[in-house]
Amino acid sequence: MTLTVRQTRLISRICWTLALLIVAVPFVFPFLWMVSSGFKSATEIFGQPSLIPRVWRWQNYVDVFEYQPFARQYFNSLYIAVTVTVLTLAISSLAGYALARIRFAGAGLLMIFLLSALMVPEEVTIIPNFFLIRWMGLTDTHAPLILLPVFGSHGVMATFLMRQYFLAIPRELEEAGKMDGLSRFGIWWRIALPMSRPALAAVSIVTFLFSWNLFLEPLVFISSLEKFTLPLALSNFTDSYGLPLWHLQLAATSLAVVPILIVYLIAQRQIIESFALSGVKG
Amino acid sequence: MKLRLKTLSASTVLALGLVSGQAMAEELRFTVWTGSEAHLKMLNEIAESFKATHPDVTVRFETIPAADYTQKLTFQLAGGNPPDLGWMMEDAAPTFAAAGVLMDLGPTLREAEGYDFADYSEPALGLWVDGEAVYGVPFSTSPFMIYYNKTLFDEAGLEDPLQLAAAGKWNMDTFQDVAKTIKEKTGKWGFEFKDGQGYESRIMHALMPPIRAYGGDVWANGECGFDKPEAIAAVQQLHEMVFKDKSIVPPGEQGDYFSGSSAMTINQISRASKMPEAGFDWGIAPLPSGPAGESPVIGQAAIVVFERGEQKELAAEFVAHMTNKENVAKMAQFFPPARKSVLESEAFTAANALIPADQMAYVSEAIEKGKVLPSHERSPQILAAMAPRVDALWKADADVKQALAGVCAAIEPLL
Amino acid sequence: MAEALREKSSARSWRAPRLTLRQREAIEAWLFVSPTVVGFLLFFLGPLVAVVYFSLTEWNLLTQEATFVGIQNYVDALSHNPDFWHVLRNSFVFAMGLVPLNMALALTLALALSRPFRGVVFFRTVFFAPVVTSAVAWAIVWRFLLQGEGGAVNQMLALIGIDGPNWLREPDWAMVAVIVTRVIKMVGLNMILYIAALQAIPRDYEAAARLEGASNWQIFRMVIWPLLAPTTLVIFVITMIGSFKVFDHIYLMTGGGPENGTLVLAFYIYEQGFKFFNVGYASALAMIMFVIVLVLTVVQMTLRRRDMQ
Repeated sequence: MTLTVRQTRLISRICWTLALLIVAVPFVFPFLWMVSSGFKSATEIFGQPSLIPRVWRWQNYVDVFEYQPFARQYFNSLYIAVTVTVLTLAISSLAGYALARIRFAGAGLLMIFLLSALMVPEEVTIIPNFFLIRWMGLTDTHAPLILLPVFGSHGVMATFLMRQYFLAIPRELEEAGKMDGLSRFGIWWRIALPMSRPALAAVSIVTFLFSWNLFLEPLVFISSLEKFTLPLALSNFTDSYGLPLWHLQLAATSLAVVPILIVYLIAQRQIIESFALSGVKG
Repeated sequence: MKLRLKTLSASTVLALGLVSGQAMAEELRFTVWTGSEAHLKMLNEIAESFKATHPDVTVRFETIPAADYTQKLTFQLAGGNPPDLGWMMEDAAPTFAAAGVLMDLGPTLREAEGYDFADYSEPALGLWVDGEAVYGVPFSTSPFMIYYNKTLFDEAGLEDPLQLAAAGKWNMDTFQDVAKTIKEKTGKWGFEFKDGQGYESRIMHALMPPIRAYGGDVWANGECGFDKPEAIAAVQQLHEMVFKDKSIVPPGEQGDYFSGSSAMTINQISRASKMPEAGFDWGIAPLPSGPAGESPVIGQAAIVVFERGEQKELAAEFVAHMTNKENVAKMAQFFPPARKSVLESEAFTAANALIPADQMAYVSEAIEKGKVLPSHERSPQILAAMAPRVDALWKADADVKQALAGVCAAIEPLL
Repeated sequence: MAEALREKSSARSWRAPRLTLRQREAIEAWLFVSPTVVGFLLFFLGPLVAVVYFSLTEWNLLTQEATFVGIQNYVDALSHNPDFWHVLRNSFVFAMGLVPLNMALALTLALALSRPFRGVVFFRTVFFAPVVTSAVAWAIVWRFLLQGEGGAVNQMLALIGIDGPNWLREPDWAMVAVIVTRVIKMVGLNMILYIAALQAIPRDYEAAARLEGASNWQIFRMVIWPLLAPTTLVIFVITMIGSFKVFDHIYLMTGGGPENGTLVLAFYIYEQGFKFFNVGYASALAMIMFVIVLVLTVVQMTLRRRDMQ
């Protein structure tokens, strides 16, 4: 009995979905554990392993906010991440566009220089940066937490990604824009940027995540508890003898994950939408 | 004439007195690793009481997360933004003292009125004193105790460690026996190393107590103690318990005492706060004695003043205030004190809501007689050099003597 | 009067096109990249120069004693310190293991999830979940799953008759464990980048190839893969560089052990600088790492450029 095309496709779809589900298990299990541990008591977390808490301790989430100015710290991380993302998108798309479309003297050299910024671990550049920031009088402020990611190795990576994407976009629309009399900036703003939405979406996810999870910079530069960002605050959920209060830390971490997932879901839609657009174009 | 002179000198003295008392409002920055509201409230109260003698001085407590405390502190000191004083962990103390960044508090403390420096237990000060110089005052001296799961002991039909200790029968041999019996009869682990980290971040905490019980030490006077017969005997016993008896949680496994998976563990009394949720009967007992007798081990944290601070004399005075008898008794509700007068007071033994007085008596004893964990100005390097050799030790087929010799070979150049 | 005006206007018309197109474009370009360049100079190049300088000193962060020692730090690392070569080897093994695995998995997932179908958003989110899981939680769970006796991984292997090793207590297996867990954690990021790149490929290319009767594999090899090449290169460089910089994952999973089996260069640098306070030596190590990664990158890029031509 031979199968119809439709049946073959259905079976293939089911197999694929099954395979994906199996592969997905190691990906999602730790995440689920993290979230469910946020509802357990400290001892239950390391007791008999189970995904569903025996007792749902909503109290953990209340304690999280009482333990330290968590709401404030959350807000800090949020506005810093948004600022870093917006600035990075602007600066990296500008630079990436120039590097992709304009042939100018020094471009190659510049790229090598920028690339080298990626290669030194931040643990080492942070020491001179610490002295620089102190000299600028910006210790215990959020300024270094914004400036360093935007202009440091992460910004460089974003620039290269944007350049990559701009290279791959067909030039016709930009040529048309030039003939319509748009300036270079106009072309960038009205044509290239909208066309690069998937890349912008991808960069914004990566950047938001990067800024959200920064730990070393806040550790080095921030002293006051109210100015802490989330990663620092999370590591501060310890008892006074230094041992982590797992139930609080994991509950707080689960909360911390929410904005990223939101950004991710929004950005995903951008990626899918632009696919639809290019499909229509084709 | 004489009267005038007297009046003149008197009024000069008065004027000078007024001028010196007229200090500008000063703020001391004090770093701590606790963010607990209860702790901070108590600390702030002590700061307030300082105003009685120093009306214009405020103390600001700055929290730095414990895991990165020493690193962050170093950054602040290096960056020209040093705190005036702060807490210090015992493992960092020798490094900081050797680097010359800690102020000698000896003169200030000895001269402070009613301070009674001799009230401090000498072993407790061991780490912080160098000859006449005093580099820090311990505010928390917490001995290592055995926590036991009474429910499991009852299930296995055994006397618990507290009963054995009272009868004078609590030693390394009985320790091995009860652990083995519990494993056989209940299937749960007999013993878990401190915080389950005995093979990773707490190798010293795991090896130290047994080695000391056998009469050895990890190092002394620049010489490595791991390859001495006492240490070898101690580690041999542990090795047997892990791989032959299978009564100690082996490397790579989890057997959390607080969740009821192990019958005993070693920890400090601060962990008692986890016990109410544990769901089993429990108690604490002293560490098992060994061929060399009892050998309590204590962990510490102290208050230090930084040389690079701009107000170090004032900071030193605050330390004297904070660690006087009255305030140490006050802090004893959270931090086991090192002052003998407070330790022996009823207030201390009765104060702990979770631990009954008879067990607290062992705690007091351990603080008075205990020896601190070994420290060295190159502790971080020594631990890093030790770790891979100790990993080689914790294998089923390892030759304990050879492995320990390897440990010594690795750390001797650093000692 | 008219003559004077004509002369003036002709003089003006001579002055106007002073800049060539090339030059105008160059100015535009530099304006576009100026924020990046300024920031780069301030927050990277300056500190980099400082790092080079530090690497020529012996500077203890705590005592603040600094002495100029020239290239002594480099000499120490390269010839007097056997640990260094061991660490370097570990870093290479880690990178060589991680990069191909990560990229292959990322591409496979991206190919499977680049076309919309019912549930694609769900799967894309699921595969991205580890990226947002905290490194601490990730390590706790995997250490639990990788237990020698009671761990889920070994229990599952036992079901198919394999006696799993004590993963995190055997130096070689620990390296495998650390690589695989890191790949699972981070592959979601590369997956997104590949998805974005796949979106840029016009659908007609694929449609045309299908009309000519090409199989899926042929479409991939002839159409998709070549068009992805530039993105692949960027992802490769970023992932490779990143793999040398990994620190927190290893710190949390194995602490560099067992028997220093997973002690990689980034960890070593952190230890030297932040635990032992030897800023000079740590800086020298960082410069060595920089040179190695730079060489690897340049080699890759030249190889690829030759391919693409």
